[in-house]
Amino acid sequence: MSGKEVTIVVDGREIAATEGEMLHDAAREGDVEIPVFCYEPKLGAPVGACRMCLVEIEGIPKLQTSCSTPVRDGMVVHTRTDQVKHAQSAVVEFLLVNHPLDCPVCDKGGECPLQDITQGWGPGQSRVIDEKRHFEKPIELSPLVAIDRERCILCYRCVRFSQEIAEDEQLQVLERGDRSFIGTFDERPYVAPFHGNITDICPVGALTNYTYRFRARPWDIEQAGSVCTLCPSQCNVSFTVRDEQVKRVITRDNHEVDDGWLCDRGRYGFEMFGAEQRVAGPRLRGGASDWETAIAKAAAGLSAAGGKVAAIVGDASNEEGYLVQRLLRGALGSPHIDSRPSRGARREEIVRLAQPSLSAKVREIDDAEVILVLGTDPLHSSPILDLRIRKAIRRNGARLALATERPTALDGGAEAIARYAPGEAAHFLSELAAAVGGSENVAAPLAESLRDAGKVVVIWGERIARDGATPALLDLAAALSIESTDGSGLLEIPDTTNARGLREAGCLPDAGPGLSEPNLAFGSQEDQKAQLDGKSTEEIRAALESGEIESLLLFGVDPIRDFPDTPAWDAALTACKHLVVFSMFENATTAKADVVFPLETHAEKDGTVTHPDGRLQRVRPSASRPGDIRPNFQVLSELSAALGHNTGINSQPTAFAALRQEVPFYADVTDASIGGKGIRWQDTPSASSLPSPAPSAGAPSERFAEEEQSSPAAPAVPPSFDEVPSEEGAPALGASFALGTYRDLWAGPITELNPPLKFLQPTQRVEMSPADAERLGLKQGEKVLVGQNGTSIEAEVQIKERVSEGVVFLAEGTSEGNANGLLNGGPVRVEITKLSETHA
Amino acid sequence: MPHELETRVLLEHAEDPALRTMAGYKGYGGYATLEKAYREMEQDEVLKDLEDSGLRGRGGAGFSMGKKASFLPRGKMDKYLCCNADESEPGAFKDRELMQRNPHQLIEGIAIAALAADAGHAFIFIRGEYDLQADILDQAVAEAYEAGYLGENILGCHRDLELVVHRGAGAYICGEETALLDALEGKRGNPRLKPPFPAVQGLYGGPTLINNVETLSNVARILAHGVDWFKSFGTDQSPGTKVVSISGGVRRPGNYEVELGIPTRDLIYGLAGGPLPGCEIKAFYPGGSSSPVLTAEEGMDLPYSFEAMAEAGSMLGSGSIIVADDRVSIPHMALRTARFYHHESCGKCAPCREGTNWTVKMLERVVRGEATPMDLDIIDSVQDNITGHCLCVLGDSMAMPVSSMVRKFRDEFEQVIDEAADPYAAVQGSILTVGTAG
Repeated sequence: MSGKEVTIVVDGREIAATEGEMLHDAAREGDVEIPVFCYEPKLGAPVGACRMCLVEIEGIPKLQTSCSTPVRDGMVVHTRTDQVKHAQSAVVEFLLVNHPLDCPVCDKGGECPLQDITQGWGPGQSRVIDEKRHFEKPIELSPLVAIDRERCILCYRCVRFSQEIAEDEQLQVLERGDRSFIGTFDERPYVAPFHGNITDICPVGALTNYTYRFRARPWDIEQAGSVCTLCPSQCNVSFTVRDEQVKRVITRDNHEVDDGWLCDRGRYGFEMFGAEQRVAGPRLRGGASDWETAIAKAAAGLSAAGGKVAAIVGDASNEEGYLVQRLLRGALGSPHIDSRPSRGARREEIVRLAQPSLSAKVREIDDAEVILVLGTDPLHSSPILDLRIRKAIRRNGARLALATERPTALDGGAEAIARYAPGEAAHFLSELAAAVGGSENVAAPLAESLRDAGKVVVIWGERIARDGATPALLDLAAALSIESTDGSGLLEIPDTTNARGLREAGCLPDAGPGLSEPNLAFGSQEDQKAQLDGKSTEEIRAALESGEIESLLLFGVDPIRDFPDTPAWDAALTACKHLVVFSMFENATTAKADVVFPLETHAEKDGTVTHPDGRLQRVRPSASRPGDIRPNFQVLSELSAALGHNTGINSQPTAFAALRQEVPFYADVTDASIGGKGIRWQDTPSASSLPSPAPSAGAPSERFAEEEQSSPAAPAVPPSFDEVPSEEGAPALGASFALGTYRDLWAGPITELNPPLKFLQPTQRVEMSPADAERLGLKQGEKVLVGQNGTSIEAEVQIKERVSEGVVFLAEGTSEGNANGLLNGGPVRVEITKLSETHA
Repeated sequence: MPHELETRVLLEHAEDPALRTMAGYKGYGGYATLEKAYREMEQDEVLKDLEDSGLRGRGGAGFSMGKKASFLPRGKMDKYLCCNADESEPGAFKDRELMQRNPHQLIEGIAIAALAADAGHAFIFIRGEYDLQADILDQAVAEAYEAGYLGENILGCHRDLELVVHRGAGAYICGEETALLDALEGKRGNPRLKPPFPAVQGLYGGPTLINNVETLSNVARILAHGVDWFKSFGTDQSPGTKVVSISGGVRRPGNYEVELGIPTRDLIYGLAGGPLPGCEIKAFYPGGSSSPVLTAEEGMDLPYSFEAMAEAGSMLGSGSIIVADDRVSIPHMALRTARFYHHESCGKCAPCREGTNWTVKMLERVVRGEATPMDLDIIDSVQDNITGHCLCVLGDSMAMPVSSMVRKFRDEFEQVIDEAADPYAAVQGSILTVGTAG
């Protein structure tokens, strides 16, 4: 698209447009509505199938579909002439020939484009007296979506979504002519992680959510805009609320964030808000409590530890994170706070990575020439980016390079793929940085795709920071000249939703709010040294076991399920003298708590979150809080006051104001500028207040190399990937494998506590290469024990072509056989035994 | 022996079974033009000859072939040539005979047209039912590769051309040029939105020239004998000869090659022998079942040319005449026509998908005697609603003939309705009866 400004005339009115833009879009910008069914810009190129948008263009004898006609300067268009009216009315009549017109019992009634367009452009009277076509209806297209083929007007939006957006290719048009219908091969259920989007784009009541069927009508609902905080994508959503309860979640298009799509996790996750396991009020060991008692009890326990206290924050808004760190640093005088499940980058690296010149916007993925995905599978860690990357490849010809431990969903579209052994990210990335610079090494084939690539967007998983790979990542960024290339940048996919916001709000052991050296305002001057040296998550766990820390506050985290090394966490929480847990649901961690406080869901919460690309977005309360739940900021504020530290925070605005005051680069972000679509702090004047990185002394990796070596968990001389299998020789049954783990999209409360999604609950499967399976004599689906050091878990064999030999993968966070039980912070090797043999 | 009214150019020597072999074809001077074109001519010269000849596409639309070829962008990129051999229009069977009797004439034409289009890959998309013809083409293509007229470095001229014979799966819609491309790419054969036209963005996204079998069969002759020779046949606007398929109520149905512009009467009476004994001609489709019917009075004395048929409100189309005599019930013929298009509609766009379906249902009511005269108005109005509003021409292909029948034979339709039965149904030996399924 040239982007040239042109003027067109529609119905006698001059409209400014951009050359190459589709006439339908240009007209809409100029307040002329041209009706459409099949056209949806999100789906890519127009198909011109419904014929609803025919208009008259001077100089062209036949009517043209405005959805597929690019505007030219001086184009004169008529949308309301007799010829056009005749055509549009004819198309509506045709669409209704086979449509049942069962509006009174249709869920779409009242928010149905077919209804609206029939009213606006249709003939108003039916001439059809012939029998309409019939299908069995409604039937399950998937366990979540019902299809009514009689209502379908065959606009193919859903099919195009399946084939060109999600690329799952499951939906097809079957049969032809007026016998055409939408379905899947062999009537198999349409199960795919984004399939709920088809209910949003369906212009009639043909595709409806089972979770919403007959639950409400458009005139007794309200739409409430918010942000989904179930993963770091932070998609913009709109809650459909009836009687103060969420009944449905739909997209709220934000091109800068989600491109108008929503994954099924975000769409159907809401049903867990009402789960039986929901913590609906404060409770003490042994039973429910009133708020005053619970707060007093929590405060007493925390202060009794005499500063030997720590906190870990997970699922929290910026304000909540800010308040927790303030509670800890200000009220309890302890520096031990972290917001990461395991090891992470140091303050110095975080500050470097936060520099606006290094960071990429989500939108920049669209125009990237090369997309490099490092150490993460977006489908599982930030699903909506999976769609975004596919779009960049499909529509804009972006090239994709992948470097991961585990095969990803994007492998099929990648130009180059490198697999490194679990835990070897740091080693691989330094090799890659060197290879981009010209070295011939193991990463050279991948580097081939990156040399002279122009705009490069690097999407990296926070997990590689566990392996100490951030310095190497910075080297790579330097080798790719990211800082000096417009449109290039790094985009992190963190482990938790609001990881970036929590770090910037000060939930780090070595940085205070605003990534400052820890703020000493609340501690005594003597504590200064100690304030700078907080313990990280893993150190907190060790300190709990050793008794160095006695009391722990957990906010929105479940270490027993989600953190590596379950046995150690179990022991640490058991050893903890006073455990305060803020949790949405009862779980293994709350079972050990002395005081449990309820958390609000993202439909109930008021607060801000920070997207991994720096965009501050507002989570707005949409539904009522069940039971005796209070706003989290209020509880934290009261707890702080009970500890003798009055924050003066008594509302979301005061909490946000305090946050902005302490995070200097948030200073110019206001409620108004966040608005409905959010604002990147990098785009405000206050961005200049971001701390500058320490002056560079050689390449970052050199500066950190020494410290890294001293870290006990860091691998010694890392073996290159190819050496992994040979280390042990050919693995026979019982031989050991390098263990890689990943967080499955569907592991956790999202499926366990959510009846509609229960069918997606993953069971533990050990993924291995066909060669390894053959050597071990294992078949697909066979039950095995995966163990190390006497601990073992049960898993089903899953043979995957693209898994490298010598490596196996397990999922974290599953209800049975959680892989976290086998992890210990370092590289893990596991042995695999057939389950039948152990029983024999 | 050819009839004196015939002018055999494409069907010259067609009676010789050896013509379909390389040796037989070369015996009549075949492939000399290809050799001349590849050895001596530049792309622009070939293109100029084709444009100057005024050769119009023989597949139905009648668009200038040379002009179409000139739309392809220049420059180094993958370009394609597709020969449309998906001849499925009811009434048309001329391409079948051309491929069966003289496959090398087509291959030579493709090779020369590929020169004009600068295409390195060519495909013949032949309808699956033309099994015999596809076998013959396979054989001929193999011979042409053997002789060095296809493949790499043709005749040492540093030009390559790969030619593939692809058998379709039998959908009428795949004869629509963009649906043909989708089917060739392995997709569901649905028409694409135009623009972009195939000349700009066609097969696999590359510039593509698509022409009918008969059009391409003309190419070698034009280059061999020159533009003036070609233009000496036919009319100003419809130069050349045309193989016309004549079927229906005539004594000698078959393919006849004539100069364009001869009186239609010469075709139907002179060549096809006129109506069967005791019958009179009532109407005919001048250009396949998708052309509006002409009554005998209207059409018999018109010159058989693109322009004259268009002026009479119909079209020459693929050049296939279907004759309906006085035993034929026009309402039944309308229903049969509508059923064909209803069955073959791909379903992509609403007016065609729903319009063909609705029309069939209404016409069924007419022949069952369950309609009122008002339904005739609705049928006519629905055809009007379809025409010009569809993604491709399939919808129009039903709407135009059906609407012409309702308008020209309204009395007959009303008679059916009035008597609640078709007066012709009782006629013994009626040649057009209505099948049970659509």
